[in-house]
Amino acid sequence: MSDTIIKTEGLTKDYGYGRGIFDINLEIKKGEVFGYVGTNGSGKTTTIRSMMGFIKPDGGSSSILGLDSWKKAPEIMKDVSYIPGEIAFPSLPTGTAFLKSQAEYLGVTDYTYMNHIIEMLQLDPTANLKRMSKGMKQKTAIVAALMGEKDILVLDEPTTGLDPLMRDSFLDLIREEKAKGHTVFMSSHIFEEIEEVCDRVAMIKDGKIVDVANLYDLRHSKTKDYTITFNSSDEAAKFASHTQLSPTLEKDTCRVVFPKTDINEFFAILKGYSICSLHENKITLEDYFIKMYEKGAK
Amino acid sequence: METKVTKHFSGPLMKQNIRSNIVLIVAITLIMLLMSTVMNYAMSIMGGGTSSEDLTEYQTEFYTYLGAMAQYDELSGAELSYSDFVEAQDKTAYETAFTMLNAEGDLSLSVDGFQASIDGLSKGSVSIDTYVQEFEYNYVLLQSEGYFTGDDLTIQGLMDVMFESMGIDSKMIDTMMSMDPTVMINQMCYTVAGLLPMFLLIVFLANSLVVDQVDKGSMAYVLSTPTKRSAVAKTQMLFMIFVPFIIILLVCISRLISTQAFFGEVDVASTIALFAGMYILSEAVSAICYMGSCIFNRSRSSMAFGGGLSVWFFLASLLGMFGSDMMVDMGMGVKELGYFNRLTLVGLYDIDSLSTVGSSSVDYAFVWKLLILVGVAIVCYAVGAVRFKKRDLPL
Repeated sequence: MSDTIIKTEGLTKDYGYGRGIFDINLEIKKGEVFGYVGTNGSGKTTTIRSMMGFIKPDGGSSSILGLDSWKKAPEIMKDVSYIPGEIAFPSLPTGTAFLKSQAEYLGVTDYTYMNHIIEMLQLDPTANLKRMSKGMKQKTAIVAALMGEKDILVLDEPTTGLDPLMRDSFLDLIREEKAKGHTVFMSSHIFEEIEEVCDRVAMIKDGKIVDVANLYDLRHSKTKDYTITFNSSDEAAKFASHTQLSPTLEKDTCRVVFPKTDINEFFAILKGYSICSLHENKITLEDYFIKMYEKGAK
Repeated sequence: METKVTKHFSGPLMKQNIRSNIVLIVAITLIMLLMSTVMNYAMSIMGGGTSSEDLTEYQTEFYTYLGAMAQYDELSGAELSYSDFVEAQDKTAYETAFTMLNAEGDLSLSVDGFQASIDGLSKGSVSIDTYVQEFEYNYVLLQSEGYFTGDDLTIQGLMDVMFESMGIDSKMIDTMMSMDPTVMINQMCYTVAGLLPMFLLIVFLANSLVVDQVDKGSMAYVLSTPTKRSAVAKTQMLFMIFVPFIIILLVCISRLISTQAFFGEVDVASTIALFAGMYILSEAVSAICYMGSCIFNRSRSSMAFGGGLSVWFFLASLLGMFGSDMMVDMGMGVKELGYFNRLTLVGLYDIDSLSTVGSSSVDYAFVWKLLILVGVAIVCYAVGAVRFKKRDLPL
């Protein structure tokens, strides 16, 4: 599990006027699902293009499986599937024609896996390629990329245009890939989906990596955070005086943050009070991200 | 992994090229075939089947006979004439006259010969009576001389003087008389009719093969497979080399067949030479468009580059045509416009010298011109391919 699959070292591509990416250092391990989040224009696509060897970095380097992205791109492509951020198909009549042509490029002759993905995404590939809706196009692009059954997936905003149901199916697909031990690098600006499937997340802002977070830590937070509303402000004040938990008081509500191990004790204490509601404050990736973003902005 | 990296030629890409461009290619081919055949047919009607060269021969022959007969009439008081000859059942009078004249003037006149010249002349569109009348003027003028100058008088001189007094350059009349409209149509056939559809196709193809796919992003589906960029560049180059070749080959074959059908004979060598020249020119232009397609990021910029240059080449060659000797002599052009021929690659497609291929006196001026075109093609293709390998692609 410690083999490095994708690695960037000081990767820089300067488009001038502060645009581009600067000194990107990432390391993605085998079998990892790695999320890459950032606002529009923050440099996600530029990073991915550099990884895929479509653009030549101005500084630093990017490598996949130890092969330089720019110099060895065709070699790398043997093991990499790619979904481009911008969906534009070659001028072929139908989705089927396109998928067939793509299978030829990839040397795919066994269509079982392809049909499996088509089924999961409920895609009708016989439709006219140009008249497809955005979601249909996205599905077609996903099928085209995944049918190669390669070890590494590089996905640039793969869920754009998909409805929530299809997004779930897609995330199931990613989980399948993960179960097979494949490595996934996906960018997105939708936190929920990243939160759902990724092991680690890198955040990019204005071309610079702000933070790399381990989602395991986020999901399995060491502390608990509750907001309790009491029946009266007296009750609340009484609870607030309970020094062990050191809650913060506001009218009839209190907020408490305590180590996870203290949970049983917490409920034991609560037993003696008259409570109106209890709410657990979970730290979402979005909260975390916004926090990091604000930090990065300073 | 057993998958191989595609290094030189990508079959799927070629298939994709064919599938996405076949309609346009077929349409352009049909247009070119139609134009070439129709123009060829038009020329066959205008040419009237017999070239003017043959008639001149009959004409001199005919006049020799008329001259001999006039002399004989004057000497012997006979009344031999063309109209009488045609009507007379008994040609003995003519036979005796001809034998006498033969003995006297070392000639070889005969009744059959006279008849042959009449038959020959009647193939033309001018009636024989007109020739007889022209002879009358000629004969009378030949008998006399200028009153003041004592110079010989000729029909040609009379005509020149008449036109000059009317303010028309006699040279122009000469060229107009000797001008063959089929020559112009022939030239149009290889330049306007042949090159315009070809250039259109080339500009469009070059654009759709490379820059369009990069600009739109669909090239990502090719390059995210184990396919080298150089394989893409070479495959697209191959397509640009073969498509014009096949089209021009088809047009050339149809031209050979239609010429054989309309004229009954065909100059295979010069036709093939002309179409080969056209192919080389097309390749030079297509290499330029390919290079533009490989260099530019935006489809529009590449279109402006390749399309702009092609339109310029074409228009400049049209203007240049009005500077050609033929057009200037006809009063339809200005010599200065000929400079445009030096500002366009089409000017290196030397139709005049190429059509001499296969004749006894070949003008080799076309060789160095075509070599320049070949050089342009090789350089531009190479620059385009190398650039495509090294550039950033926004995929």
